[in-house]
Amino acid sequence: MRSIRFDNITKYYHGELVIDKLSLEIPAGTFFALLGPSGSGKTTLLRLIAGLEEADSGSIFLGDEDITHMPIYKRPVNTVFQNYALFPHMNVFDNVAYSLTIRNVPEDVIKEKVIKILHTVGLEKHIYKSIQNLSGGQKQRVALARAVVNEPAVLLLDEPLAALDLKLREKMLIELIDLQSILKTTFVYVTHDQFEALTVADYMAIMNDDGEIEQIGTPKEIYEFPVSTFVAAFVGTTNLLKGTLHISGDQCHIEFERLGTFEVACSLEKEGMRDGSMVFMSIRPEKIDISKTPLTGFSNMLEGIVQSIVYHGRSTQYNVRLKNDEVVQVFEQNEEHFPQETIDYDDSVFLYWQKENVVLLEK
Amino acid sequence: MKIKEIVTDFFAENAPFIFVVPAVLWQLFFLYVPLCLVVYMSFQYGAEITGFTFDHYKLILSSSPYFYIIGRSVVIAACVTCLCLMCAYPVAYYLALKVGRRWKNVLLFLLTLPFWTNFLIQIYSWVFVLDQNGLINMMLLKLGIIQEPLHMINNTGAIFFVMLYYYLPFMIMPLYSILEKIQHDLLEASMDLGATHWQTFRRITLPLSMSGIKTGVFLVFVPAFGEFVIPSIIGGAHHLFVGSLISHYFLVARDSQLGAAFTIVSGFVLLVCALLFNWLCTVPLQKVQKAEQKELAS
Repeated sequence: MRSIRFDNITKYYHGELVIDKLSLEIPAGTFFALLGPSGSGKTTLLRLIAGLEEADSGSIFLGDEDITHMPIYKRPVNTVFQNYALFPHMNVFDNVAYSLTIRNVPEDVIKEKVIKILHTVGLEKHIYKSIQNLSGGQKQRVALARAVVNEPAVLLLDEPLAALDLKLREKMLIELIDLQSILKTTFVYVTHDQFEALTVADYMAIMNDDGEIEQIGTPKEIYEFPVSTFVAAFVGTTNLLKGTLHISGDQCHIEFERLGTFEVACSLEKEGMRDGSMVFMSIRPEKIDISKTPLTGFSNMLEGIVQSIVYHGRSTQYNVRLKNDEVVQVFEQNEEHFPQETIDYDDSVFLYWQKENVVLLEK
Repeated sequence: MKIKEIVTDFFAENAPFIFVVPAVLWQLFFLYVPLCLVVYMSFQYGAEITGFTFDHYKLILSSSPYFYIIGRSVVIAACVTCLCLMCAYPVAYYLALKVGRRWKNVLLFLLTLPFWTNFLIQIYSWVFVLDQNGLINMMLLKLGIIQEPLHMINNTGAIFFVMLYYYLPFMIMPLYSILEKIQHDLLEASMDLGATHWQTFRRITLPLSMSGIKTGVFLVFVPAFGEFVIPSIIGGAHHLFVGSLISHYFLVARDSQLGAAFTIVSGFVLLVCALLFNWLCTVPLQKVQKAEQKELAS
């Protein structure tokens, strides 16, 4: 269990700048997720740690050790590859034992370690099976066991669950969390799936299309307090409305064209939030209440017409068209079999929200 | 209408069988029937006198020159195959794993270029290169490096060299096609797990390319064993190989019966060689694995 530190890393790929002067610290012993759209350079960061790519400038530290130019096979770092990369000519045991065999570990030690780790990942019944005869989930577990059997300081996971179906993916996510708490190894998990990242991570970093890190924080911080419209829109779903900020004393208001002025909380105010500046208001769909009749106790209210309804099972999504033709998404929990009021297409509705539940963003 | 339906149904249902028929017939009439004829012929007295006899086999199995020729063919073919493998593997490895896609096609084209020329022309052109008055000798004489022309043709070394030249692409191609299929992330995974380049080659690349090695070895060894054009053109009349002796019996001496018997005997030797090689490729590996599993199971 060691920390990883990127120090001003720059990486070109086929002459194209992928990562530009990036610095990042991954704390020791944490489950760290790197989340970003495809092509954001998150896999490149992972390959830089593994040694599969070499940085063009900058340094990478593993704990206090500079590993920037250390050959790949000397690094105490192992990877779980996206398509598992299991050796097809070996059985489960030999695959898992690989890193120990090449280090000439005594055979009885190998046997003991491999069987122990196969028990941990629940593959004790398949020790001598051929790789070809395994299901997707089993292959995933073999890849995991193979990567952790030699007790690496850091485990890298490159979209490890991308090839599995939803139910199995949810199950494997929980198993990964359990495995990390048993091993206490630093896990670095690369994914483009915000659900996976939010589920497993202690901390997560959000990367944008330019290979820059937009925000680092706990999943809750990232979800509730995004620092940019990119983060707000990439992690989860949000409504972004552009308006003018008005500050008078300790009262803040935001004015939207053709919609009017709304109260917002100023406690989250950052630099650059000045009177008269253009800002985005981000509000999550589940933080808006929808009703056909006027309600009391909310600081803000908007009127609109229901444009479409999407039934998700546990919740229903309403797309409401506002007076300025912008569309706002609203999620309502389906708490009752027979709700008192049913909302239908083209119904005129009121949207309510508390001023504390919005986030103001500059960009 | 009904007949048409019946015919269509028949073809639809039996399509796999129908498509296989021509190939099977071809094999039957041009491989198995002639083979049976050769076997039959090898037990005949001669062209005029008919009757069953073991005489030809007795003659071959009791005289050492035949064994010497078969032995020499096996040794030469084995050496050519080994050397081909050693030369071809790095080329195929480099082509499959290291060269960019654009250059790959150019290099592959250059590799197949000799096949565009007639086989005999390829071999004869080596005579002009290696001859007493050939290209190399002329150049060396002109440059004053040698005073007397070098003796480079009509010996086993020349046969060996030209066979190596001719069979090399037959070894590179199957190796290349199997090495190209190896997923790059397997090699990355191996290195990631702590294996050096050499260990990765030994434990991942080599075992995964085994089927390509097998194909290449058979593609080179079998025709090299029966080769008679290269020895007769490059090696002159003095170097008899299995192929040259068989062609001698059939075409020159007109003793088809003895030739047939010799063909069967050398074919048998070839079969033994193939089985031996196949055993070498698989059995020792399996033995080790089984022993490991037994030990672990206990």
